[in-house]
Amino acid sequence: MAKKHTEDEHGHRPPAPMVDEISDFEVLEMAVRELAIEKGLFSADDHRRWTEYVHTLGPLPAARLVAKAWVNPAYKKMAVTDGVKASLEVGVDWINDMPTHFGTPSDYCNLRVLEDTPKLKHVVVCTLCSCYPRPILGQSPEWYRTPNYRRRLVRWPRQVLAEFGLQLPPDVEIRVADSNQKTRYIVLPVRPAGTEGWTEEQLAEIVTRDCLIGVAVPKPGVKANAKRPVHPAVHPVHHDH
Amino acid sequence: MSSRKQLMKHYQLVGQLQPALHAPQHAPYPDTIDHALYRAYTRSAHDIGGEPDVPITWEEKEEEQWELNTFATCECLAWRGIWNAEERRRRQNVDLGQTQYLGLPYYGRWLMTAALIMVDKQYVTLTELVNKIDEVKKRYE
Amino acid sequence: MSKVQHDRTHHAKKATGKGDPQCFKGEAGPAKFKVGDRVRIRDLPDIFYTRCQVYTRGASATVSAVVYESPAAEDEAWDNTDKPEWFYSLVFRQKDLWPNYPDLFANDTLETELSERWLEKA
Repeated sequence: MAKKHTEDEHGHRPPAPMVDEISDFEVLEMAVRELAIEKGLFSADDHRRWTEYVHTLGPLPAARLVAKAWVNPAYKKMAVTDGVKASLEVGVDWINDMPTHFGTPSDYCNLRVLEDTPKLKHVVVCTLCSCYPRPILGQSPEWYRTPNYRRRLVRWPRQVLAEFGLQLPPDVEIRVADSNQKTRYIVLPVRPAGTEGWTEEQLAEIVTRDCLIGVAVPKPGVKANAKRPVHPAVHPVHHDH
Repeated sequence: MSSRKQLMKHYQLVGQLQPALHAPQHAPYPDTIDHALYRAYTRSAHDIGGEPDVPITWEEKEEEQWELNTFATCECLAWRGIWNAEERRRRQNVDLGQTQYLGLPYYGRWLMTAALIMVDKQYVTLTELVNKIDEVKKRYE
Repeated sequence: MSKVQHDRTHHAKKATGKGDPQCFKGEAGPAKFKVGDRVRIRDLPDIFYTRCQVYTRGASATVSAVVYESPAAEDEAWDNTDKPEWFYSLVFRQKDLWPNYPDLFANDTLETELSERWLEKA
């Protein structure tokens, strides 16, 4: 049985845990990272810098892109034709924001903004893995990565959307975007009624991550993703802020 | 009497009980493999769009520190030119094989793949990797 | 012992400041297809690796965008990046992809990207 003795930042030992086992994954993760650093594959500083970059990512820039497009028709037109250029105006540079200066290795540099209309609703999946527009939307949710979502959304989109609480009339075209190559997608939903005269900040507040994936639509007063069970981590990510 | 919670768990368990038809002979004779079986056995494990599956409860998950570390390791390996992301996906989502593809956790696959690339490209010997894993394990005994 | 030498710098040299797939611009030659073309998806052998989903094969689609040049995933997955091809965004009718997709939802579609090798004129 493995025990890990840790002190918190004040030098206090927590009460001895019942069983605090280190998992096989944690052992392997440390082994891989230490060996990679020892062999000069990357430096400890590289790893820290990448982790810090990931901590900066979240859905706010994408929400602001949508809000901006709602109030500015010229920006909307540009966003739909050139998502990378449109991202610059909400502070996201797909090429240079991250330490590589050639984009992130996994997310590339080809954001496409999918414009919903009253007769067209987009929803995004990556059936082959779980490709996701991290630089503008943050890390993907667990359900998006599941084989279940990846199997079913492309073939039974209306059933899956109904499970997320979204039902659309038959005359609305539902278009599933399967991001299987280098393009990454966000959905530009239809601006809901009841938001006339709102500021961009107010509009951005109702564009949740789920709206940007396409499994929800924005609603006045709804500023968070739908409540779902959260599987807890055994040793969750430390946040140094 | 079982609680409602235990009853719901029971449903989940019985949903996983399925008959299995095991082939009596592993490594079958080639003339017993038709086109359909060949395609099934040589399929890319990641190509699952359209396969049937059942409704589940959609959940969020809190990220483990080791998972974030793994993600950063994989991106750093690509940043510093050990591999590109497409090589990673090929290895992680297809080469790994059908059983590990469905049996391992999502980031478990990222991690195994990062370990193997170092050995495959001769940056590390398997001996070195095994010894390092052993050394790390011993720190927690 | 025989040890392979790996060039760890080639992608950084090619793509720094430019991005990926931007760094492959101009390398694929003329695009074979254009927006509006009807294409059928080829069922090439998918031995060892493919990013052309089996659910698309044999089905027909409309080219909705000519998106970028890049090595095909099937080659990039082994770091063979010398022969980029054009990538296309394709829209399929769900009724053409799935048996028994309800007539009630006949307007539903699916959009995905494939590289040129996977396409032939429908």
